Amino acid sequence: MRTFIKTDKQTFIHSKLLISGLLAALLGVSSMPGAAFDLKGVLKDAVEKQTNTQPATAPTDSTAKQPEASTSAATASSEPAAQTGDAGLKEINWKNPSKEEEIALGREIAGNLLGAAPLVKDTALQKYVNSVGRWVASQSERADLPWRFGVIESEDINAFATPGGYIMITKGLYRKLTNEAQLAGVLGHEIGHVVKKHQLKVLQKQQLLNIGAGFLSSKYAKDNKLISKAIGTGAEISARSLDKSAEYEADRLGLSYATRSGYEPYGLTEVLQIIGQTNKSDSSVALLFKTHPHPDERLVALGDAIGNRLDNIKGGKTLENRFYQLKN
Amino acid sequence: MRITLKAMLFAASLIPILHAQMAVSGEAGTALKNDTLRAEPFADAKSSGSFTRGENLDILKKQGAWLQVKAKKGTGWVRLLSVKRGTASAGNQTAGVLAAASGRAGTGQVVSTTGVRGLSEEDLKAAKFNEAEVKTLESYTLSAEQGRQFANAGDLKTIAFSNLKAGKGDAK
Repeated sequence: MRTFIKTDKQTFIHSKLLISGLLAALLGVSSMPGAAFDLKGVLKDAVEKQTNTQPATAPTDSTAKQPEASTSAATASSEPAAQTGDAGLKEINWKNPSKEEEIALGREIAGNLLGAAPLVKDTALQKYVNSVGRWVASQSERADLPWRFGVIESEDINAFATPGGYIMITKGLYRKLTNEAQLAGVLGHEIGHVVKKHQLKVLQKQQLLNIGAGFLSSKYAKDNKLISKAIGTGAEISARSLDKSAEYEADRLGLSYATRSGYEPYGLTEVLQIIGQTNKSDSSVALLFKTHPHPDERLVALGDAIGNRLDNIKGGKTLENRFYQLKN
Repeated sequence: MRITLKAMLFAASLIPILHAQMAVSGEAGTALKNDTLRAEPFADAKSSGSFTRGENLDILKKQGAWLQVKAKKGTGWVRLLSVKRGTASAGNQTAGVLAAASGRAGTGQVVSTTGVRGLSEEDLKAAKFNEAEVKTLESYTLSAEQGRQFANAGDLKTIAFSNLKAGKGDAK
């Protein structure tokens, strides 16, 4: 498969494959998973294709799984090239990506997510969410990013962040909220992931591992089977989980940012209470519960972190009166 | 059949509302961790009992970030986050009523049968980059100053509050 990276068309094919893989992977990450991230070589390979670099130790048997990969490529090649927006992604400095590179990467993933679930066609809603989000993000350590927020057409209960400050919340989750403090808490959690570069670090780690140490050929071949499977479907990767500590950290930061912003501090915990009451078998929380620690565990962890820190915090606002009501 | 389902949903969603109103005292809860009950809603108030993780509790009262609960071993005050609320909040149930009335209940089962789109693995699998949607998303980007104006309009005032650190009970 690697040996095919010659023509523009083929490069494009690889880009598409990568993007699918990245999207799926980042969804897994950004949807705030719970256990060890276990992408093995999947992401490494995908990123490598994107950057068009060869690993230090080129595997000799990487063509073993060529038939499967070719099938995927054939599918991808039928898509018009104009749909990709990966121009800024070819030369990412993975060791120390610039802010611009981070944003370009996040944009790709956000664009794919929006391909799965478009924005809710309600400009007033989107402006409202951007207003709340922008204010909360201004209280974070990365106020300088061009933060953007969107409510997407999905009845699932979930929210996503991609590198560089693209944040999306599903209509299904928004529907569960009853005031602005709760929205601030949810957006704060996602902002926390971007601030700590949780998703970006996973991508970097995989890529640098690949460039650095090199691989045993046999292991690489084994992983390559996974690669074509994952990139071909996307689904397997999104089902994988991240480190729990990243979720808990985002919860702590989200609550902290919302509190600093002047909101009632318990907005996020109220949302966790609400989500925790959703039946596990409910399809709307399937992906969320698969990729996150259970809300009960998050509440306990957040409770331990809070201790008495909020005892003297008074006057936080909930602003339910101006909370934007969905039209449908 | 549709109408029957709607009616049932509507009726079902009313039940908890009635409950919530009656049950300011007596709301069900579950202990999320082992904790000590306090005679008053303060961390340094004297102990008035305890409960263990998973124990069923009766929530009697809420005051700020504290709940007064009845446990097997006593009655007293405990921090909000030590308890999982057993029933949905009143506000949430109102949303449920509205959703049921409009035929779009917030419960996943109903939605899935009406064919409303979720964000399933199938959707992700089929995802293609959408330049127009990203551009629309980016068109909403606000400046820090616009955010500040929005905050001012809501009388939101920043306060000093350093980021929470991981609690000692946090694994990792």
